[in-house]
Amino acid sequence: MKNDPTPHTVEQIKNNMEQNSLFLPDFCSLRMVFSVVIIGELLAFILTLAPLRMDQQLWSDLALISLFIQWNGLMCSSALCLLRPVFKHYSNQFVAVSSYLVLLLMITFLSELTFYIAEKYQVTETLSFASHWEFLIHNLLIGGIISALALHYFYIQHQWRIKIQSESCTKLQLLQARIRPHFLFNSMNTIASLTRTRPEVAEHITEDLAELFRMLFREDHEMIPWSKELTLSEHYINIEKQRLDQRLSITWDVDLIPNDAMIPALILQPLLENAIFHGIEPEIEGGRIVVKGEFENNRIVITVQNSNSKNLVHRQGNKMALANIEERLKVHFQGKASIICQDKNDEYFAIVSMPYQTINST
Amino acid sequence: MKILIADDEPLARERLLHIIKEINCDYQLIEAGNGLEAIEQVNQEEPDIVLMDIRMPGMSGLEATHHLVASENPPAIIFTTAYDEYALQAFESQAVDYLLKPIRKERLEKALGNCSKLNKLQLEQLGKQNQEIAYRTHISAQIRGTILLIPIKDIYCFLADHKYITIKYNKQNEVAETIIEDTLKSLEEEFESIFLRIHRNALIRKDKIEALQKQDDGRVLLKLKGLSDGFEVSRRHLSSVRKLMKA
Repeated sequence: MKNDPTPHTVEQIKNNMEQNSLFLPDFCSLRMVFSVVIIGELLAFILTLAPLRMDQQLWSDLALISLFIQWNGLMCSSALCLLRPVFKHYSNQFVAVSSYLVLLLMITFLSELTFYIAEKYQVTETLSFASHWEFLIHNLLIGGIISALALHYFYIQHQWRIKIQSESCTKLQLLQARIRPHFLFNSMNTIASLTRTRPEVAEHITEDLAELFRMLFREDHEMIPWSKELTLSEHYINIEKQRLDQRLSITWDVDLIPNDAMIPALILQPLLENAIFHGIEPEIEGGRIVVKGEFENNRIVITVQNSNSKNLVHRQGNKMALANIEERLKVHFQGKASIICQDKNDEYFAIVSMPYQTINST
Repeated sequence: MKILIADDEPLARERLLHIIKEINCDYQLIEAGNGLEAIEQVNQEEPDIVLMDIRMPGMSGLEATHHLVASENPPAIIFTTAYDEYALQAFESQAVDYLLKPIRKERLEKALGNCSKLNKLQLEQLGKQNQEIAYRTHISAQIRGTILLIPIKDIYCFLADHKYITIKYNKQNEVAETIIEDTLKSLEEEFESIFLRIHRNALIRKDKIEALQKQDDGRVLLKLKGLSDGFEVSRRHLSSVRKLMKA
């Protein structure tokens, strides 16, 4: 059997996304190089105009400053571009610190080089810098501030992108965790077929489907009385029964559970869906599901039992459903509820245990 | 024209029956409830077209198609499905005909009008993208123009011999043999969770391993439950057999 490599919980998906993406943009791309050039030129304008002057020297100063800044900018970009494959293997914190150091080193190196060339050709006066150190420190300060701002901007932008991605991803995953798309389309097909031959059954199935989806589209944190949950589960089974016919047999043994017990909405339905998916659909003869309810020591225990498929290879399931139930139980009962799954002698058990609460006690 | 409708859901079959009758009431219609029945019906009735549901119990539509396409004169196959994201991608990329349930009459009419036969290459590509539903539960052998199906769970071993492979299997509690054209390498890859390579020319069923016997001449033989003869284990594969037996 193959291990399922897909992530199963929302947390895992988020973690994966954070780990897999580097916050630095791709400096090898044409778009990035162009932005670096534009930002560099804007900086050159600011530096030239900052002393609030308007004289003959302005344009030649702008040209010199631009040359120096563009040189710095492009060299820094290419350094980050070359380091990208290496950065991919490290955490974003490490990349942030090391890329900042790389940028400062680059600026130091280029400043030194510039100063050396200027001295060699004796054009230091045109640079209007008194000393070597003054030149270096000025450059490092300006470069350091600009680099820090740029890195910070990239980081914020990256965080924002992850948030957007995970939000849309989570919503879809959550819905799919609660119901398989297969179920919707199969039900539509059932209704289409029944409309011709038994319109009154088709009508009932449509009503069942509507009620189920009305609950599905509600917020996640809702509690409903057991009697309501039971009705919804029966609607679900009704729909599947039309489709699977004789192959699906189900026994309800749930009279012990008090009708007013409050439970998170649609806890039982995904368990029934799993039982059908793994125990009934793969078998030609179908199978049997037993739902058992117990009420003891002020706790409610619901067990969904199904016969395991006899196939050598099991169907790959929707583990999201179980993870989702677990998460919701945690939220509603603060660790006082649990879901346990057991494989025993060709039978599969999913057991949910939670404290008895009524609408008044919550 | 004769059309076979293979679908595990009675209501789905019923709807297709109605629609096809409306398209042309002269079409002869037959039904099958799973992949195994579909192959049986193809053997007996020789339909021109099969409308094949992808997910069916016992044997999936993809697997049934796999066996059918290998036969001498396969029918044209149109897949039907309610929702299978991976299958749909595969269909698109391989230009295989498929219909989405609930199926529209016009769409079905068009598909019946210009369906073409699948080739093996298309099928292999489909299988690659649908490992779960393409997984073979049976091995098919061609015997006098019909398809003989051997359930994987009844197979003891695959033995390679030149171009052919001999399968030893349990047929109503007796050991039977049949010959197929395949390679041990591809069988090994496909069924690596169930079968183990013990020799250059042998794959044996993991859960049927009984004991290892050392012969006087130094060779090691592997005994399988339910089979009297032993299989030689090559030195290269001995450690993996031992590891499995310990676990």
